[in-house]
Amino acid sequence: MPARPPAPITCTGLARIHDNGVMALDPLDLTFAPGRTTALIGPSGCGKSTLLRLIAGLDRPTAGEVLIAGLPPARQAAQGAIAMAFQDPSLLPWLTLRRNIALARKLARQPANPGLVDRLIGLVGLEGFHETRPAALSGGMRQRAAIARALVTQPRVLLLDEPFGAVDELTRRQLARDLPPLWQPLGTTTVLVTHSVDEAVLLSDRILVLSPRPARVVADLAVPLPHPRALQVTETPAFRRIAAQALAALAQGVADSPALAAQ
Amino acid sequence: MTALARRAGSPVLLLALWQLAAAATAGQFLLAGPVAVGGWLADNPGLVGRALSASLANAAWGFLAGNLAAILIATVAMLWPRALNLLSGLALVVFCLPLVATGPILRVTMGPGNGPQIVLAALAVFYTTLIPLLAGLRAAPSVWFDLVASYGRGRLAALIHVRARASLPYLLAGLQIAAPAAFLGAMVGEFTGAERGLGVLTIRFTRDLNVPALWAVASVAAAVSIAAYGGIGALGRRFLLERPPVILAPPRLSRGSLAGRLQGCVLLAGVTLALWWGGIELFGLNPFFAKRPPDLLAALTRAPDAAATRQALLGAAGQTAALVLPGYLAGLALGAGLAVTLSLAPRLSGLVTPLAVALRSVPIVTTAPLVVLMLGRGAAGTIALVALMVFFPTFVACQHGLRQAPGQILDILRGYGAGGLAQLIHVRIPAMLPAFFAAARMGVPAAILAVTVAEWLATGRGLGNLMTLSASLSDYTMLWLTVVLVTGASVLGHGGIAWIERRVLRLYAPEQVDP
Repeated sequence: MPARPPAPITCTGLARIHDNGVMALDPLDLTFAPGRTTALIGPSGCGKSTLLRLIAGLDRPTAGEVLIAGLPPARQAAQGAIAMAFQDPSLLPWLTLRRNIALARKLARQPANPGLVDRLIGLVGLEGFHETRPAALSGGMRQRAAIARALVTQPRVLLLDEPFGAVDELTRRQLARDLPPLWQPLGTTTVLVTHSVDEAVLLSDRILVLSPRPARVVADLAVPLPHPRALQVTETPAFRRIAAQALAALAQGVADSPALAAQ
Repeated sequence: MTALARRAGSPVLLLALWQLAAAATAGQFLLAGPVAVGGWLADNPGLVGRALSASLANAAWGFLAGNLAAILIATVAMLWPRALNLLSGLALVVFCLPLVATGPILRVTMGPGNGPQIVLAALAVFYTTLIPLLAGLRAAPSVWFDLVASYGRGRLAALIHVRARASLPYLLAGLQIAAPAAFLGAMVGEFTGAERGLGVLTIRFTRDLNVPALWAVASVAAAVSIAAYGGIGALGRRFLLERPPVILAPPRLSRGSLAGRLQGCVLLAGVTLALWWGGIELFGLNPFFAKRPPDLLAALTRAPDAAATRQALLGAAGQTAALVLPGYLAGLALGAGLAVTLSLAPRLSGLVTPLAVALRSVPIVTTAPLVVLMLGRGAAGTIALVALMVFFPTFVACQHGLRQAPGQILDILRGYGAGGLAQLIHVRIPAMLPAFFAAARMGVPAAILAVTVAEWLATGRGLGNLMTLSASLSDYTMLWLTVVLVTGASVLGHGGIAWIERRVLRLYAPEQVDP
């Protein structure tokens, strides 16, 4: 797959107050390095999905801005530079696997590329299921398909909102092992939202630990482990040390939260 | 074999009961059994065949036009969401127009041809397709729209790639209801002075008191309706993966303040008046039969006989209310009551339900002459007709609603040893409420249609009679007044039920009101 030039993401003074008045993000200044994978972890409802949606251009910030390679997300999205995978695989039930994946290129206004669709189906381990509808696939297989759909537009930015969150632990570990090598060599700037500290360490180059709402960054941890990472890496001391730091930062963020301090 | 027997069981049972009832009442000119009906049809194949093909053609054209209009409006509402409330409000107003009065008005504007039948058929299906279609177009999970938006695409792409296909089960379910409704509209149109069609035969045989012929015509209308209903249902099962939706008119989200909603009502009233007045001016319709809003206002206030007009109108409205309210409430109570009772006796339910689903598709109004034959021209017949009209959709919807009870909560109750009655009160009936209210809301215009038709064909009292009387006396001012009164009452009744619905559902099914 020919890669497009990596795109940095910068968030400046980014704040978001929901329609119901809840302040989801404290003004945030963040930079995501081009071609690297950053994991966002934090307690439930802290605003990490909000941040991801702002980067995707699905929501508009109340204040501040997001720029992807110097352009607003909506402009980049219109050029097919962004792809997103959700916790729900969100495959359209009436389309076959092949057509579900091909749909992304159509939506991104890119020319059809049946060869790439077929190759990606093979790469995510769904060979032979081209003409199968989503209802006949298992949860893990659907997530593989959703990742294939996200990659078929050869995005510069890949946004993953707990993409392995709805499958069982064993499948989750298999997906975390099999799928990242598909995008990591491409220079895709990836932002991953996850609940799992281990998944964050396993998949990312950097971990941002967020506080309870309104989200602010309580820790910014580098993950200097070489790629590709085998599952065994989770047993190494270096891995466990970073995971412990992340967990401690999470707990600290909760303890320092002004909402809790007020109680 | 047993499955076949079960499927054939209820129709055979129905035919047997029908024949028995006919035999028991022989000589009273009430009921012709299946044997007599079959005999009459065999003797008059040409007459029925010609009338049927005329009605079918009118219904088909109306079906096509009404559904195309519904699809067009739904598309506009999806691309321009701000217009959604206004468009569905206008659609409701159109749906609430009393066919009994619009029929004669169309007849004088369009002449003796097939125009009025086709327009009435289109009016009858327009709303029954639009509402499920709007529900279906919005029924897709929000993450699918996120997917489309994440590629920087807007409403049109969402409509093409997601909404259009996701709404198909709803569209098909709407078309399924619309098919018999189109037939009903065409027949009511034929009641108002057409030359050919089953409606013409119905009027003729009612006058002649030709009992076997009347039952035969009603049977043909019922059979055609059931066949159209079943045919579209089979089409859906053949081509769609999804199970057909049952609640076709889910409650509208109540976002926005009271002031905002009032503003919406005022806007709707204003646009309705503008379309009415503007339409008359635009087409240059003859002021003799095309009355403008100020004409009606003057007739009620400044005209010399204004007091008499008001009195006639209010008197008729009172007579109609005395019939439609008990009938409507009885239909709701019987429908919900039977559904609840049968949920305690599942075996009986297997026999009754397929029958009710089939009868739901029968255009009850076309059987009005039969109900009148059996129950007389008094209040009982009319109330029974209204109740029947409301009963079937309520019953089918409530049965569906009772099945929506969440299994885990039922398991918790069973864990405490709670019996069937406790499960019913605490879980199943609350789970039934959304379906019940959807049926109650849609039942308001249906009940008013039924009562006006019955008053017209049978009782000679109330608004339905006033409409036909005014039409035959060419008193178009009074005719328009009845249209405005009945439409207004229907829309208000519908809105009132929707208001109660929101209050009740906010308590019992909050996920349906504020997603």
